[in-house]
Amino acid sequence: MLELRSVSKRFSGIAAVDDVSFSARAGEVTGYLGPNGSGKSTTMKMITGLIERSEGHIFFQGKPIEDDLIAYKRRLGYVPEEPYLYTHLSGAEYLTMVAQLRDLPARQSAERIDGMLRLFSLHGDRHASISGYSKGMRQKVLLIAALMHNPQLILLDEPFSGLDVASSLVLRRLIQELAARGKVVLFSSHELDTVERICSRVVILHHGKLVADDSIERLRSLMELPTLEKIFSQLAVEQDTDRMAREIVDLIYA
Amino acid sequence: MHDLIQRLVARLPLDFRVLYGQFLLRVIDLEALSIQADVPGFLGQFAGVLIMLSLVHSVVTYVGYVYITEAHERMAFLLHIQHYLIATTMLVVGLATVISWDATFPDRRDVMVLSSLPIAPRTILLAKMAASIGVLGLAVFTLNVASGLMLPLILGAQPGPVLGQFQSIPAWWFALIAASAFLYGSVLTVQGFTALLLPRRIFLRLSAFLQLAAFGVFLGVYFVQPSLTTPAALAAPGNQWILASSPSYWFWAMFNQMNGTLPAQLFWVAHRAWIWLGLAVSGAVLSMMLCYLRTMKKTVEEPDLVPGAGSFSWVPRVGNSLQNAVAQFSIRSLTRCRQHRVAYAFYLAFVFALAFSLLRTETAATAPIPLSLVLLAPTFLMMLFAVMGLRNVFSLPISLTANWVLRTTQVRPPEKYVAATRATLLLFAVAPAWLLSAALSLRFRPVIQVAGHLVVLALVGCILAEVCLIGFYKVPFTCSFLPGRANVQLTFWGSVMVMFTVFIPCMQFEQSALHEANKFGFLVCILVGCALALFAYNDHRGKSAVIHFEEIPDEVITTLKLNA
Repeated sequence: MLELRSVSKRFSGIAAVDDVSFSARAGEVTGYLGPNGSGKSTTMKMITGLIERSEGHIFFQGKPIEDDLIAYKRRLGYVPEEPYLYTHLSGAEYLTMVAQLRDLPARQSAERIDGMLRLFSLHGDRHASISGYSKGMRQKVLLIAALMHNPQLILLDEPFSGLDVASSLVLRRLIQELAARGKVVLFSSHELDTVERICSRVVILHHGKLVADDSIERLRSLMELPTLEKIFSQLAVEQDTDRMAREIVDLIYA
Repeated sequence: MHDLIQRLVARLPLDFRVLYGQFLLRVIDLEALSIQADVPGFLGQFAGVLIMLSLVHSVVTYVGYVYITEAHERMAFLLHIQHYLIATTMLVVGLATVISWDATFPDRRDVMVLSSLPIAPRTILLAKMAASIGVLGLAVFTLNVASGLMLPLILGAQPGPVLGQFQSIPAWWFALIAASAFLYGSVLTVQGFTALLLPRRIFLRLSAFLQLAAFGVFLGVYFVQPSLTTPAALAAPGNQWILASSPSYWFWAMFNQMNGTLPAQLFWVAHRAWIWLGLAVSGAVLSMMLCYLRTMKKTVEEPDLVPGAGSFSWVPRVGNSLQNAVAQFSIRSLTRCRQHRVAYAFYLAFVFALAFSLLRTETAATAPIPLSLVLLAPTFLMMLFAVMGLRNVFSLPISLTANWVLRTTQVRPPEKYVAATRATLLLFAVAPAWLLSAALSLRFRPVIQVAGHLVVLALVGCILAEVCLIGFYKVPFTCSFLPGRANVQLTFWGSVMVMFTVFIPCMQFEQSALHEANKFGFLVCILVGCALALFAYNDHRGKSAVIHFEEIPDEVITTLKLNA
């Protein structure tokens, strides 16, 4: 289980994440939602250890992650929000490098990389430079890099970004399958429909603060709202979206 | 004057002026220069350095001319200075051409943006050429701003009427401009015909290596070619091949021909300058015109995804998986990223210049050469430039935003990363420099002493690699020296100067040690001790080090605090 206790992050004294506590359990897909700038990616980066926390603790399998950071990183798979890669490498070279850095056995990793490249329909372009890859192809490379070492904790920050319909459908099933096999999956996305379909529970963040942490079913019944979209709008959207859309069109026609 | 220029500029077509302004800022190859290049700032600094050089040249030449009283010494000095200034101008133009590589060709962005606008391809070509010529012209002018006005009077000084003294000024400037045009035209001709003859994908790959080769050739020729400073040396049959093959001597002859100071038996050298100037300029114009007609279409048709070289991209394996990862990442970064390639080519040019000079000594010798400083000095320097140069290039990051992957996959202790960087330095700097030295030592005798020197050289290479690792707790190509934190060039040249002062007595000691077994044993023991001590130090420090990965700073939420 992944557990955050009173985690905060401040930039120049301003809280990007403020006293957030929640847990993500093995066998479940936990949705992590919030509007732009609510602190989702900052939280993800704190969980990966990419940025330091200002306050609070993060536990994995009951132990603080900093107790044995190397062992923790061995069990972590992370897909970041932006597909930043070393673009002078080919897809195959990049994945081989990640496998080498993770100290995976050469033959096993080569087989896994080859197999996953085929399954993700990247095998034909594996020797092409990543600089020529589309956003969707880069996203697939990130997914393979995050999964090839069979991690226990999987952090997915906007994993559907740039993927085509077929790949998105595969990824949906893949996330559910991984959770069903006992992985801890923390999944951040703006696609509420997808979140509603694959997540067992959701954590909603607004202005860096936790505003909801429960199963989707319970939130529906508690708030007496039919969909996650309605729940999210009520909790985290401040604008009147209909009026705003009308005003934009009015401005275009003015 | 300013108004006149403004009026003249205003008469140019608007689309040309707009494109010229855009292309001028893009002449400098941003990738070759730095990650976040400030082009106007760079041009200003570039011009400032060249003006300073010009002033230094002027002062040195004037002082030398005044203080040398012997006629034949003065003649030798003048010949040397004339050729030196022309060769230096050609070197600077060559380096500027390397930095502005590909700037005259339409890239994919130009084609995609401009082909939908009502702009003729010739306007794009002219604007690009004007921008490139503008930068090269700036280089030539600033490098000769002082020397080009003052020195022709000294260089072309002859008895005769006062007005006759001034004919050397236009002759001098014409020769400089002709030499620059020849070099620029030659590069464009090679690039243009390569682009025409090869498929675009192959051309783009080859172009990167041509850039590197041009860089090495310009620096290598400049440092290797001998200076013929006396009329006797110029007339010597053994030196005629130098005059026939060295463009800087052609344009030196051109200047003297126009100045009326060229001996009749060297007119053929000046003729070469005229012929090759004509060929280079006409070749450039022809190839560029054909290129713009043909390659713009090719550029549009170029597929987004270009197949790679496949499993052919073999890289040697060095040790454990981390060492492999770091070594392969380093060599791929070095060979595939233009900025890194050009930066390392700068150091390799010194290595190859030394290698060529050694090779020339060997080919000139008719019998085996006795071991001396002739072999010891260049091989030590080659090792120094190869190792220190690679360490220097390690500090140019590839992509700071992509460093997150190295951090999230850091599952091994820091000393393993230090070991991986050591393996990379040994594999890609020490080993090639040692092998090159070994190959160049084949004609030296006695063999036992040559073998002894190669042992010493290998140990020196290991020591240099360990010196480079002190405090380097980073993965190569992931961190930069940020302004204000360190001056990498200053550090490099400072280290080279320190090494020079250490090397000279060491080489003298080695030379004597190679003749005495006891002394040689002592030397090897000292070097092995140094290498082991440095290895232990780096390994020990590495265990408690934190591997540093530089990234784009976290976004910081800021407020104007208007309510405060």
